Amino acid sequence: MSLLEIKNLHVSVVGKEILKGVDLTINAGEVHAIMGPNGTGKSTLSNVIAGREGYEVTQGSVTFDGKDVFAMAADERARAGIFLAFQYPVEIPGVTTSAFLKTAINAKRRAEGKTEIDAMEFLKLVKAKTKALGMADDMIKRMLNVGFSGGEKKRAEVLQMTLLEPKLAILDETDSGLDIDALKIVSEGVNALRAPTRGFLVITHYQRLLDYIVPDFVHVLAGGKVVASGGKELAKELEATGYAKYQGAAA
Amino acid sequence: MKSPGILDHAFGAAYAKRLGGLPGAATTALDALRQRARVTLGTDGLPGPKLEEWRFTPLRGLAKIPFIPAASAEDIEVSDVPLSVPKIAGAARIVLVNGVYRPDLSDQDFSGVSVSPLSTKNVDGRELLGHLATPSAAPLVALNTAYMAEGIALHVHGAAKPIHLVSIGASGAEPAAFHPRVLIVAEANSSLTLIETHVGLPGQPYFSNPVTEIVLGSGAAVRRYVEVAEDADAFHLATTAVAVAENATFEAFHLGLGGALVRQETHVAFAGTDATVKLHGAYALSGKSHHDFTTVIDHHVPSCKSNQIFKGVVADDAHGVYQGRIHVARDAQKTDARQLHKALFLNRGPKVDCKPELEIYADDVQCAHGAATGEIDPDHLFYLLSRGIDPERARNLLVEGFLADAVNEISDETVRDVFVGQIAGWLKKRGVQS
Amino acid sequence: MATRETAAAVKDIEQYKYGFVTDIESDRAPKGLSEDIVRFISAKKDEPEWMLEWRLKAYRYWLTLAHEEPTWAKLHYPKIDYQDAYYYAAPKQQIKLDSLDEVDPKLLETYKKLGIPIKEQQILAGVAVDAVFDSVSVATTYKKKLREMGVIFSPISEAVKTHPELVQKYLGSVVPYTDNFFAALNCAVFTDGSFVYIPKGLRCPMELSTYFRINEKNTGQFERTLIIADEGAYVSYLEGCTAPQRDENQLHAAVVELITLDNAEIKYSTVQNWYPGDAQGKGGIYNFVTKRAACRGKNSKVMWTQVETGSAITWKYPSCILQGDGSSGEFYSVAITNNYQQADTGTKMIHLGKNTRSKIISKGISAGHANNTYRGLVRVGAKADDARNYTQCDSLLIGSTCGAHTVPYIETHNPTAQTEHEATTSKISEDQLFYCLQRGMTKEEAVSLIVNGFCREVLQTLPMEFAVEAQKLVGISLEGSVG
Repeated sequence: MSLLEIKNLHVSVVGKEILKGVDLTINAGEVHAIMGPNGTGKSTLSNVIAGREGYEVTQGSVTFDGKDVFAMAADERARAGIFLAFQYPVEIPGVTTSAFLKTAINAKRRAEGKTEIDAMEFLKLVKAKTKALGMADDMIKRMLNVGFSGGEKKRAEVLQMTLLEPKLAILDETDSGLDIDALKIVSEGVNALRAPTRGFLVITHYQRLLDYIVPDFVHVLAGGKVVASGGKELAKELEATGYAKYQGAAA
Repeated sequence: MKSPGILDHAFGAAYAKRLGGLPGAATTALDALRQRARVTLGTDGLPGPKLEEWRFTPLRGLAKIPFIPAASAEDIEVSDVPLSVPKIAGAARIVLVNGVYRPDLSDQDFSGVSVSPLSTKNVDGRELLGHLATPSAAPLVALNTAYMAEGIALHVHGAAKPIHLVSIGASGAEPAAFHPRVLIVAEANSSLTLIETHVGLPGQPYFSNPVTEIVLGSGAAVRRYVEVAEDADAFHLATTAVAVAENATFEAFHLGLGGALVRQETHVAFAGTDATVKLHGAYALSGKSHHDFTTVIDHHVPSCKSNQIFKGVVADDAHGVYQGRIHVARDAQKTDARQLHKALFLNRGPKVDCKPELEIYADDVQCAHGAATGEIDPDHLFYLLSRGIDPERARNLLVEGFLADAVNEISDETVRDVFVGQIAGWLKKRGVQS
Repeated sequence: MATRETAAAVKDIEQYKYGFVTDIESDRAPKGLSEDIVRFISAKKDEPEWMLEWRLKAYRYWLTLAHEEPTWAKLHYPKIDYQDAYYYAAPKQQIKLDSLDEVDPKLLETYKKLGIPIKEQQILAGVAVDAVFDSVSVATTYKKKLREMGVIFSPISEAVKTHPELVQKYLGSVVPYTDNFFAALNCAVFTDGSFVYIPKGLRCPMELSTYFRINEKNTGQFERTLIIADEGAYVSYLEGCTAPQRDENQLHAAVVELITLDNAEIKYSTVQNWYPGDAQGKGGIYNFVTKRAACRGKNSKVMWTQVETGSAITWKYPSCILQGDGSSGEFYSVAITNNYQQADTGTKMIHLGKNTRSKIISKGISAGHANNTYRGLVRVGAKADDARNYTQCDSLLIGSTCGAHTVPYIETHNPTAQTEHEATTSKISEDQLFYCLQRGMTKEEAVSLIVNGFCREVLQTLPMEFAVEAQKLVGISLEGSVG
C-alpha cells in the first residue's frame, strides 16, 4: 500500500479550476520533488492534502495510508501523520513556541493513546533538537514565529517536523527566503529525518534546494497537471532549459 | 413632556412669531417640513449636559441668551465679505449672510453644478431635504429645520467647478440666531470640491446653527473643506449628515480656529459597498474657545473604508473635544475603520476631552483607534534652538508640524496651502507665548 | 466561506463544572428588602450602633434612587425585583471556628470540587484563605501566623467588633454609600466579606485569598471587602468566585475598597467564574460590582488583575484614585463572553497627584451571541503634573453574531500629562487556526491556545496557581464557540 496516492485530482478555488487532474503516488521511504512555474497550483496541492478550507475538490481522490483524506478534518490528518511545512509560517502573538510545541506533541500523543509528555522530558527533547538545528536555546521562549527572520521561521518548521515525527512531510517552498547557510542547515535537518517509513513531498520553484535534499523522483507541475516525471536529473534539465516548454505544453 | 436631559431655551418664542416671514414660506414642501420639525421642537429644546452626546459640550450659556431671529433684525447690514476670508483660486464664491443667499456678493459662473437658493420654487432634488438630517434624531436639526433661513441647494451633475461657500454671521443691537441649510446632491460619478468658510462680525454674540445634507451617488466624489473661524463671542453648532453610495468617495476636513462655542458634528452612513470616507480635522484654540468635533460613522454594508485623523493644539483656557463613534453592523464584513485623535497643550489651563468609541458587530473587520495628549517635547524644542532658531519660531514650527499629520490629508493642494496659511495666521496672531 | 456561519449554531456546552449545589442547612432572613431586613442583618451580625446607622442611611439613600439602576452601560436585562430575593443566608452551623477541622466536611467537599485545596494551599503554598460561602465567612485559615506579624485578616463582620477604629475610619471612605445604586444597596445589606490590614513596613509573605460562592437559591450576595496597606506595606490578594447552576438569575453586588498609604502596594487579583447561564441565556449571575482603590500615599501602588469568564451580566470597573504624588494604578483585564453573556467592564484612572502613573491593558473576547464592552475613564486633573497613562484595549470576535465595543473617555486637564490610548479589534485568523490544526490540535485546543496568547499580557500578571486556573478557564469558557 502506498503512503500517499493522488488520483485524477481536480481542485477549484472560487470557481476557478487550479488542479486539472493530478496523479501522484508516494511510497514510504521516497522523496518526491514537485517543481513548476509560479501560480501553477503547487501550493494548492499541499493545502488540499493538509485540509485547508477554501478549496473545492471537484473530482478525484487522495488516500493516505489507505484512508480517504477528504473524510478527515485538518487536525485528524495531522495526527494521522501528515505534516505541512508552510511557505509562510503564521505568527501567533502571545503564544510561546514552547507552549505551542507542547500542545501539538500532546495532541498527537493523546491520539496515539499515550500519556502527555512531562515538562522535564519535553525540555530535554526540545533542547536536543534545537541544538541539532543550530537554533538558540531561548528560541522556544519566544512567541511563535513572531519577529522570526525568514531562516528562523523555516528552522522552526523543521524543528516541529522533527518533534512530531510525521509519516509524510510536505515542504512547501521551504527554500524561499533562505540564504545558502540557512538552506544547508534546514536541508540537513530534513535529511536527518529521511527514513524507510517516511515519505517526503518537496515543493520548490528552484532546483537549488534539490542539491541539498536529493529527491528520488522529480515531477513537473504545469497548467494544473503533472506534465513530466523523472529522476533527479530532470531537475538539472529544468535548471538549464526553464519551464517554457512545459508551460507551452500545458496550454 | 420634555425628554430628560433637554434644556429649555429662551429664544423659541421669538421665532414662533415669525413663521410667515421665513424665506420660502408658502412653498409647500418647505412648509410641511418646518411644520413637522416644530412639532418635534415643541417637545424638545436644546440638548442638555445629561445627554451622553453632549457630556463635554454644555449649552447652558447658550440657552440663556435671548437670541432673536436674525432675519427679523432690521439693524444688520453686511455689504462686504470680511477680509479674513481667504480667496480660493479657481473657485466660484457663494455668500450667505445670516443664512440667507446674497447674489450681490456671490459669483455666478458655476459649471457642472446647479445652484439654487432653497426658497426658490423649483429646487432640483429638494425632495431629499430632511432625509438625512432628521429632526427627530437631534434637537439642533429640529431647530434648524423649523426655522431654517433659506440656505442653498447644490446639484452636482458632472465634474463641477469648485465652490467656495462663505457664511457670514452678524448681530445688530440684539443677539441674533440663524439656521443655514445646505443640500448637496452629487449624482453618480460626479465630483465636487466645496470649501466653506464660516466667519462673523464682532458685536453682540450670534448663533449659527447650520445643517448640511450630502448625498453621494455611486462613484461620486465629494471633497468638503470647512474652516470655522467665527467671532470670539459667537456660537456655531453645525450638523452634517452624509450618505455614501457604492464606490463613492467622501473626503472632509474640518478646521477649527475661532468662536466661543463651536461644534462640528458629522454623521456618515455607508449605503453601498466599496465606498471610502476620509474625515479629518485640525484645531488651534486660544482664549476660552471651545471646539467640539463629533463624528458618527455607520458601516451598514460590507467592504467600506473610513479613516479619521484629528489633531489639535490648545492654549490659554481653551477646551478641545473629540468624540467619534464607529458602528459596524453585523453584515458589514471587511470593514476597515480607523480613528486617531492627538492634542498638544501649549500652556497650563486648557482641557482636552476625547472619546473614541468602537461598536462592532462583525468579526471580519479591521478597526482601530488611538488617542494621545501631551505638550511640546523639550528635546525637539532644544534641537531647533540649538540650530539657532528663535523660541517663537521653533514652537510655531513644532505646532505646524504637529498639525501637519492631519492637514496633509487634504488632497486638494490649493486648499491645503490655504489652510496651512490660516493656521500660520493663527500662530502669528497669538505671538510670543511661553 | 469556512466555519464562521457554524459558530451561530453554538453547541450546548454545559461546561459549568462548578454548577452543583451543596446541601447544607441554612439560616435565611425572610424574602424582600426593608428597614427591618437591614436591622435584622445588623442584629444577626451583632453590630455596633454606628454600623446600623450607616446601613440605614445607605438604605434610605437607595430608596431615593427609586429603583433607577444606571442605564449607561451596554447591558440589557429584565428589571430586577429587589423584593423577590433573600438578603441574608448563612450556613446554619455556627461559625466560631479556629481550625479547618471544625468546618462542616460537606463545605470542605464543596471547596474541593471548586478546586480550592485549602489545606494544601495552607501547607504548601502558604496561602491564607478566607472562604465566603453565600454571605458568611466560614473559616479564615492561617490566621494565627498572620496575627503574629500584625496582619489582620478576618471576616469584615468580625473586624467591625475587633477593630472598630480601623473599620469606622476606612469603610465607605473610598466607595461612599451615595456612590451608585448598587453600592448603596451593598452598604445597606452586605453580610460579610474580608477585612485586611497590613501594618507599616510589612511585606505580607503569603498571598491572601478569598473564595466566594453563591449557594442558596434566590439569594443575593453582597460582600464587602476592605483592604488597608499601611505605609510601606505590601499584600497580594486573590479572589475567586463561583456559583451553582440555576435557572433563575441571582444578584451579586459587591463592594471592594482598597487603601494604600505612603509607599504601600496592593495587588488584587480576581478570577470570576460565576455561573454564566446556559447556552440559551437562561439563568446566570447578575454581577454588579464596585471596586475602587484610593492610592492616598506617596508612591503607593495598586494593581488590579481580573479574569472575568462567568456571570450572565458583568458590570464592573475596578478603579484607582491616584491621590498621592508618584502613586500608580494598573488594570489588567481579560473578559470573555460566550453564548448570551454580556459584560460592560473597564476601569477609571483618576490622576490627582503629581507624577502619577496608570496603565490599562484590556483584552475582551466575545463569542456566540455575547456582547463585550470595554468602558474606561482616564482623567488627569489640573494639578496632576507629569501624569502618564498608557491604555491598550484589544477585542477579539469569534463568530459573526457577537459584539465587541470600546468606549474610552480620556479627559486631560493638564498640559504636562501624557496619555496614550490604543485599541484594536480583530478575529482569530483562518491562517492561525489552520496552522494549529495542521499540527494536530483540535479546534477547541487551537482556539484556547490562540486566545490564551491574546490574553498573555494579562494572565502573566496573575500569581502562578491562579494563572494556571485562568488559562484553563479561558479554554472552557470558549468551548463550542467555533463550529
